[in-house]
Amino acid sequence: MALKDMLPTVLAEFPEMGRTDLRDFKRGIDQIFREFSREYGELIENLFHPLRLFLVWFEKLLLATPWPLTMLVIAILVWLGARSWMLVIGTTISLCIIGYLGMWDDTMQTLALVSVSAFVCIAIGIPVGILMSKSNRVQSVVTPILDIMQTIPAFVYLIPVLLLLGIGKVPGLIAVCIYAIPPVVRLTNLGIRLVDKDVLEAADAFGASPRQKMFSVQLPLALPNLFAGVNQTIMMALAMVVVASMIGAPGLGTQVLRAVQNQHLGLGLMNGLAIVAIAIVFDRVSQKFGQRLQKHSETIHG
Amino acid sequence: MKKLLTASALLAATFGATSAFAECGDIKMAEFNWPSGELMANVDKIILEAGFGCNIELIVGGTTAIFASMNEKGQPQIAGEQWVNALRDLLDPALEEGRLHAVNKAPIEGAGEGWWIPAHTAKAHPELKTVLDILERPDLFPHAEDPSKGAFFGCPAGWGCQQNNASLFQAFDMEAKGWTLVDPGSAAGLDGSIAKANNRGENWFGYYWSPTAIIGKYNMQPVPFGVEFAGDENWHKCIATGDCENPKPSPFPTPDIFTIVTDDFMKSGGEINDYLAKRVFTADAIGAMLVFMSDEQASGADAAIEFLLNHEDLWKTWVSEDVAAKVKAAL
Repeated sequence: MALKDMLPTVLAEFPEMGRTDLRDFKRGIDQIFREFSREYGELIENLFHPLRLFLVWFEKLLLATPWPLTMLVIAILVWLGARSWMLVIGTTISLCIIGYLGMWDDTMQTLALVSVSAFVCIAIGIPVGILMSKSNRVQSVVTPILDIMQTIPAFVYLIPVLLLLGIGKVPGLIAVCIYAIPPVVRLTNLGIRLVDKDVLEAADAFGASPRQKMFSVQLPLALPNLFAGVNQTIMMALAMVVVASMIGAPGLGTQVLRAVQNQHLGLGLMNGLAIVAIAIVFDRVSQKFGQRLQKHSETIHG
Repeated sequence: MKKLLTASALLAATFGATSAFAECGDIKMAEFNWPSGELMANVDKIILEAGFGCNIELIVGGTTAIFASMNEKGQPQIAGEQWVNALRDLLDPALEEGRLHAVNKAPIEGAGEGWWIPAHTAKAHPELKTVLDILERPDLFPHAEDPSKGAFFGCPAGWGCQQNNASLFQAFDMEAKGWTLVDPGSAAGLDGSIAKANNRGENWFGYYWSPTAIIGKYNMQPVPFGVEFAGDENWHKCIATGDCENPKPSPFPTPDIFTIVTDDFMKSGGEINDYLAKRVFTADAIGAMLVFMSDEQASGADAAIEFLLNHEDLWKTWVSEDVAAKVKAAL
């Protein structure tokens, strides 16, 4: 006889909310959301409108620019960021292969979405990280939110976002950012908190204002961690490209979805590798850029 | 001896009572494993059991499995909602050789793929009677990312219907008329865009299929294409494959959905076959039931009772008054 059979029902079976109550509860949440979306949907959509315009404009710009020019600009950016001929050559070759294999337009769309998302993530993430580092209370509030953002399955929040903003690039960007923002926030926070207390004391002794302390001492010393965060954020943004495509953000992700649905292994591999190629370029450039910034600051403080 | 006599008398009495529907007995019937299939099988089950005195055993399965079993083993004897297109090569010979018979060639009205608009759009713009009318008004369906263009929501990336819609987009010359083909990325994306448009009272124009819960839930309206079907050649060799320069405008082909019975049952089924031939679910009724099933997470059996309670007008036209009264009494 199983242990379960000997116990009273309350202990054997978990006392559940009744089926109808549970249904009403779930429906209530749906209802609240529906009313919210009817009431404020348009307002929220308008708030995001400038971002949408920018995304559309940027994508159109990338698509309309002749490819040699785009490639030149990318090469120059890579050089400015990394100062490495190897990287410039590698980037150019991979872009040539991507273009030759007919993925140029999709790649440009993905590039547009990822670079704008990464920029938004960093622009929001670093200030939030700084705030977190300054106050334990902020940290204790923000950390669980970051945990949710990193682990909640994407479609759980994607459908509500979809209902508010419709399908397309903006929900795609929001999806990417929700997933990709935590590393930069966490590592900015960590980096600043890890700055040596003695150094801060010295800064205090020299009569540095809090602002001076933050921008001239803490942030420069936190750079290695901060850049690790930026780097991770960019990589995670790229990893979300396929999910973003599931709510209508066009690009390489759409092709991957197409391939997956139809077991087109070649198509899937090509587009998947194109995402990897962009990721490696972003990764190496941001790492090199971070290293260079740190060298620079070492000569000042060293 | 006396006992035996009474027993046989009792037996005879029961037999006598059931002999009114002597043709009926044990019947095995397919229950297809999708919502409308479950609903139809359970409605048939209740009507045949209560109204005709049959004893129905439902056999759950998918299109191919049920077909193979009917074709090879002669069981189940009835399949209510057999989608034909996927099986045409196998089904056609079976029908020709008389192993199977299609007693009803359209048990669900308005089933199939098409282009849809929300009910509020249809009401506000009664002049939009066909797809051709809509195509002249991209301004009514602005694309969020480029309001100068109309948004046409196609089929999710990678689905079979993606090519069909892309070809039709080309065939109707929609790009030149100011439209963009929006790829919703996934079924969730497509459903979400329909839900959003309906929640906000926005216009929406795009691809979907019926019978489905979302079409019923939002009372989406199918738009007639306003052109004739341009032939199988155009559809199967051009629109469906995309391997041609000039696809011709065409509506989606009507999918064949048959109610199929085995040869034995065709001969012995009698009035049950008449019932199956008359039993046609309207698009509205089946839509409403699919919404009910998805909202309440109801099983096919629950939904069948709900259907018989709420759509009396419809199912009473399928049976004689006598049978209708029996079914009603059983509910």
